[in-house]
Amino acid sequence: MSKVVEISPTTRHEGHTKLVMKVNDEGIIERGDWVSITPVRGIEKLALGKTMDQVPKISSRVCGICPIAHTLAGVEAMEGSIRCEIPRDAKLLRIVLQCANRLHSHALHNILTLPDMYLPGTDTKINPFSPEEPVRSVAKRIQKLREIGQTIGEISGGEAIHPSNPRVGGMFKACTPRAVQKMYDLAKEGLPLAIEHMEFMIAVLRNYQNRDWSEVGGKQIPIPKDLGYHDQGCMAAHPMYASTNLDENPGWDPERWTDVRPWDWYMGEVEISLADPSYPIGGTTPVGSKANPQMEACTGVPLYDGCPVEVGPRARLVTFKNFDEKGTIGQQIARQMEYPDCFYTIMKALEEYNPSGKVVADYIPQGDGSLGWAANEAPRGCDVHLAKVKDGRVQYYELLVPTTWNFPTCSRALTGAPWQLAEVIMRGYDPCVSCATHMIVVDDDKRIVAQKLIQ
Amino acid sequence: MGTELGKYKSCVSARSTNKEILKRSQDGGIVTQLFAYALEEGIIDGAIVAGPGDEPYRPRPFIATTVDELMSARGTKYNISPNVSWIKEATRSYGLDKVGIVGTPCQMQAVRKGQLYPFGWRDVDDKIALAIGIFCMENFPYQSIKQLVEDHAGVSMQSVKKMDIGKGKFWVYTERGATVQLPLKVTHKYEQPGCHVCLDYVANLADVSTGSVGSPDGWSTVFVRTKNGDDIWGKAIAAGCFETKPIDQVKPGLELVSKLANEKISKNQKTVEARATFGVNKALRNPYIKP
Ligand SMILES: Cc1cc2nc3c(=O)[nH]c(=O)nc-3n(C[C@H](O)[C@H](O)[C@H](O)COP(=O)(O)OP(=O)(O)OC[C@H]3O[C@@H](n4cnc5c(N)ncnc54)[C@H](O)[C@@H]3O)c2cc1C
Ligand code: SF4
Repeated sequence: MSKVVEISPTTRHEGHTKLVMKVNDEGIIERGDWVSITPVRGIEKLALGKTMDQVPKISSRVCGICPIAHTLAGVEAMEGSIRCEIPRDAKLLRIVLQCANRLHSHALHNILTLPDMYLPGTDTKINPFSPEEPVRSVAKRIQKLREIGQTIGEISGGEAIHPSNPRVGGMFKACTPRAVQKMYDLAKEGLPLAIEHMEFMIAVLRNYQNRDWSEVGGKQIPIPKDLGYHDQGCMAAHPMYASTNLDENPGWDPERWTDVRPWDWYMGEVEISLADPSYPIGGTTPVGSKANPQMEACTGVPLYDGCPVEVGPRARLVTFKNFDEKGTIGQQIARQMEYPDCFYTIMKALEEYNPSGKVVADYIPQGDGSLGWAANEAPRGCDVHLAKVKDGRVQYYELLVPTTWNFPTCSRALTGAPWQLAEVIMRGYDPCVSCATHMIVVDDDKRIVAQKLIQ
Repeated sequence: MGTELGKYKSCVSARSTNKEILKRSQDGGIVTQLFAYALEEGIIDGAIVAGPGDEPYRPRPFIATTVDELMSARGTKYNISPNVSWIKEATRSYGLDKVGIVGTPCQMQAVRKGQLYPFGWRDVDDKIALAIGIFCMENFPYQSIKQLVEDHAGVSMQSVKKMDIGKGKFWVYTERGATVQLPLKVTHKYEQPGCHVCLDYVANLADVSTGSVGSPDGWSTVFVRTKNGDDIWGKAIAAGCFETKPIDQVKPGLELVSKLANEKISKNQKTVEARATFGVNKALRNPYIKP
């Protein structure tokens, strides 16, 4: 007979979620629902009527880990709607900013995920806060990579968290030759560190893959070989940066996207019938509590070609580089593999960049209400913003952010794993739940069928 | 009072040894010379100064990264120049690691406040390498200066070579050699109202502060205040950048500086206090105390 166990809240990711899982007698997940319980902030609703310049600055505040993605996707959705082509040097600065943010984000995720992993060849889990070697040097390297990422982001984007430089039509400021040199020097310093770090992380992940068990709350939990496998597809718009409706061959298609409501997708009310007070730290939800994923989920469920999809580093490598590993470790490996490319792309963009080039379009149309969209490849995957701008004001705005795409996919990927490893699977997606929590749900005909109002 | 001149390690009368600088500097060319030295020595990689703007004598702050650019900013513009507005950008798209900034006492306060309480000033605090303060009795909006020069002094703004406040007068010198002076009492109603609650005359919070008062024409009074300021000043002296005289050997010397500082502070302290009883059972805000 299956039982229901709930981990709430989940930890070591951004935002607030829980896992509601039906498990068999062996504790193997038969069906899992991973749901956001982060309060809806309703960015899309409050954007209506505001200026196209202001809205991307607001959506940046959706998330402080990947504000670059929301700023750039927001700005480029506006530019897509008003049909504004930005100057080449502005685009180059945006690319530098994008890569810098991906670096810092992936490095930050290492800190969150390492505690699940073991020092290769030992039964010792990695505590990134440990003052002992070899972990200490790893933590320092991670912080150095983040510092480099944030500094390059600060120079190209004006600010590392909530970049001030991007604007509709390009960038506010061009970077001086000195600034370009500084970014280039930092990238040169970072590249060997990134390669060393990638190799370290991959060794740690492969070691986990080869283990038979992982210790959770004092018990040895078997690690299935297909941890985190699912049958859903992958979606990625670009290997590094973004695609928009202004592209000749767009990497994303709004026609292929639909939304379903949480109550079409998630379980209805269930009662918790299994609890484990030793689950670190503080135990699982007590027996007898009620959970209702359909009602509690704070996200819509976006589908591409009628199915949930995986987005993120693995999706990018699968789509553009024939990467063929699956599951949690495949996702983690793919994430590490993106490190060097961030630096190579930054260096290439800086080599092409002309400090005396113009960074704002000469003419910025005010819009006639046409649909524009931008699919930015955020650290966690494809972040699509859709907008309609008329006379400089936003008439329609929608965010389809990476973790929103991943919620239903990850839920399916839980099946077959011991429930104690559900969080490990979830962390493979590097969830960013503030990002994911959005409010408008549309049906096949793109009609709005549900709106969760700001309470 | 005794605190009117702030904390300082040394005080001298000085002027630059560079004739080019002195040609257009306001007084002893201290600001331009010290920045030029710091720039050439790599102590700073740029400085925020008040350069020429769109209209004559309307300052436009910018980030100077060459000596030529520093030269273009010489001379006092007696109206508001928001120098601090560039400080964050200097560390962003300009990519500076060591920023110099010149400013009035209130601007030095802004810099120090931003360093201690970096509200929206991420990664700026540790990049301020040299803060030079200039003495300041009061400032004016641009419109005020225009009215004083054009209406009261009867000189067109285009033809002004230098403006100066000193010896109890507002002086306007023209390129063609004429001099007009206005009594300061004419200028009072044009002052920026915010200056009336200002309790700092000689830029107490700068690394090095300088002004004309206390020293003869063409010379400056210089306070060397912080360890950083002392270090840079010492090196600049050793490099032969400045001629100096002990302040007690020049006329009118520190006594006049103290007197003017005391006058400013006590006058403005009264204004600050009066705000407490400005309305009937209501006060105006006092930024020096907790709300
Ligand atoms: C509003 C104001 C009031 C002043 N009041 C007094 C006073 O009461 N007593 C006194 O002794 N000295 C006063 N001064 C200072 C004096 O006029 C000179 O600026 C100072 O002696 C520096 O001269 P210098 O030859 O060393 O500088 P220079 O080498 O000529 O360089 C002057 C520097 O000052 C900067 N500057 C010019 N205008 C402004 C401005 N409006 N705001 C900020 N920075 C500016 C320029 O960027 C330049 O770098 C005042 C200055 C200002 C701006
Ligand atoms: S009087 Fe004070 S407030 Fe006014 S400009 Fe001078 S330093 Fe600033």
